[in-house]
Amino acid sequence: MLIMGEVRTGLLQNSAEIEERDHQTVLGLLAGERVRMSRRPIVYAVSPDLLTGVDCRLPSASNARIRGVGTLVSRATITGGRILQGSSYVRVVRGEVNHRLPWSHYLARPGVVEVLGKVSAPDLAGGFLAFGPPGEQLDLGSVSDRFMDVVQESALLDLRAPFRSDRTRLRWVAETGEPGVHFILGESTGRTLRLTHHGEFSPAVVDLCEDLALHDWLLTALLTIVQRARIGGASRPEVSARLAPAVDTLLHLWMPGARIHPSLAPLWENLERTPGFSRQWQSLVERVRDQLAVNTLALLRETNG
Amino acid sequence: MTSFSEVTAERQIKSGPLSHVSVELGHLYMEDFQAGPDRLRQQFAMVAPWLETVRRSWQNRTPGGRARISTCFLIDDYFSRFSTPDELVPMILDAAAENDLVIDYLARESACAEADGVKLAKLVEDRLVPDPPPGTHSWRPPPHETGWLANGTRSPVAGAGQAMKPQIRWEPPTQNAKRGHSIFVDVELWNDDNRGRTWSCPFLAAVWQLLRLGLLRNEGRLPVQPVQVDGGFPRDWDELPPVVKLNKSATPFSAYTTMSVLSTRFLQVELAVRTILSQVSVDEEVLKQVLSRSTDEDLRLEEELVDRISYVFL
Repeated sequence: MLIMGEVRTGLLQNSAEIEERDHQTVLGLLAGERVRMSRRPIVYAVSPDLLTGVDCRLPSASNARIRGVGTLVSRATITGGRILQGSSYVRVVRGEVNHRLPWSHYLARPGVVEVLGKVSAPDLAGGFLAFGPPGEQLDLGSVSDRFMDVVQESALLDLRAPFRSDRTRLRWVAETGEPGVHFILGESTGRTLRLTHHGEFSPAVVDLCEDLALHDWLLTALLTIVQRARIGGASRPEVSARLAPAVDTLLHLWMPGARIHPSLAPLWENLERTPGFSRQWQSLVERVRDQLAVNTLALLRETNG
Repeated sequence: MTSFSEVTAERQIKSGPLSHVSVELGHLYMEDFQAGPDRLRQQFAMVAPWLETVRRSWQNRTPGGRARISTCFLIDDYFSRFSTPDELVPMILDAAAENDLVIDYLARESACAEADGVKLAKLVEDRLVPDPPPGTHSWRPPPHETGWLANGTRSPVAGAGQAMKPQIRWEPPTQNAKRGHSIFVDVELWNDDNRGRTWSCPFLAAVWQLLRLGLLRNEGRLPVQPVQVDGGFPRDWDELPPVVKLNKSATPFSAYTTMSVLSTRFLQVELAVRTILSQVSVDEEVLKQVLSRSTDEDLRLEEELVDRISYVFL
């Protein structure tokens, strides 16, 4: 009926990029299951899927009391050995009965939450995307956060991030319909995405949401670094020093749509037209590089006296 | 059209052969062994007619009556070690033969904890998705932090830090999926001491059921492959393969369903086993494989794992 998910994105707390061979340890959250990795066009690793059982109120725009029982699917990913994401999603369907069934019934439907009673998809979607106070309602974000924390607790990480950054939160809902995408940038770290796609739901939709969250975080992080550099305010060496983490850590990670299923690629292209993620990224990257070039020239002039 | 894929980016899940039903003819513990070979003979005499019933019922369900039925027997070498394989196995086989029973596969209980270097119990523990009490809206501490798993909410107890606070009023435990009244079950999965971790009997029995249902994979591969042994059993339990194939013409060890013919003293253990199995998440890919194979054979398999497991208690 409706799929909803929340992706949290942040910097892996480690001073250097983690090496390829370490991904297995850091993301190996399930015994007997390998971490899946791809190396082209960028190193990307994803943990096995994990389930979390819930029995709680579901969000509702009209504040209706809707009870859902079932499991969420969560996973953690690391991109470029640097960016960590925790992602959880759930497929909400109408249950066949109005009372709770034995747990084995729900475990036979991984990733599905059954609603006991009536529910309307627009009401549910509206409630979820409103970012209301967490309270007693289904909290996909905190489950995603938890999986990020579990990864960060790995003994292989030195817990020293190259720069300060906030975790961003992207809530998304997906339904079958005429393809379309609607992205809203919230005031603080919250973003929402409404997505409609052809055919049945597939994990490729989750890949798209995670990819979008990743690039939104990259833009947010780079913007913050540029703002903190106080270009024109601070001295040239200071500005250069403050911009350096962007060059070391972020600039090479921009690869929108790299792992997106071809059937969903047009949705990314829509977002590239408006708001134009890559356009803004490119202009920021040029600004960083121009600053470094100008500052290097100034430095050369000074040393050559 | 171009295509590109990377091997390590894809999951590959092997599938194994399956019988229609795996019938467990018994469990042997130290006390049974101490009671002597007569106890075993009596047990097999009681089991034999039930095996026949299972056989007939499956022959009626399968096209051409070609039911694939494999039998197995479990020996405890985990909680206590007694006798040696070269002494015990022939004794069991003789007692079975006297009752016209053929034991196709023999397994060691310790194999459910670890087999061929794969920590099966840990594998299953990691796949527990606890039954959430109403009000669970997010992540909860997993059972592997406490070693206990319940089917509901426990009675509240006053913790050490609450000694000075007013006494907590007693409240009953509740079963999450209760219909009217609760049957609350709380199962100990393991305990730790200076010798390390000891898995509980119900937990190992849950692993045993999953093995018999062919639903476990380690890195996509089948974790236990039965090994054919023709006579000449070793003197040490550790030298005996985890699952031994005794009958050359046996149908596969794992099956779509399981049937266990057990003494009623195992009733509580099996309730605990079902409580655990109701909270194990089996790989979706593996479930699909098994389901599509059964469909190809015109067999309707129960959706829920616990409904594929049945018993005769004697």
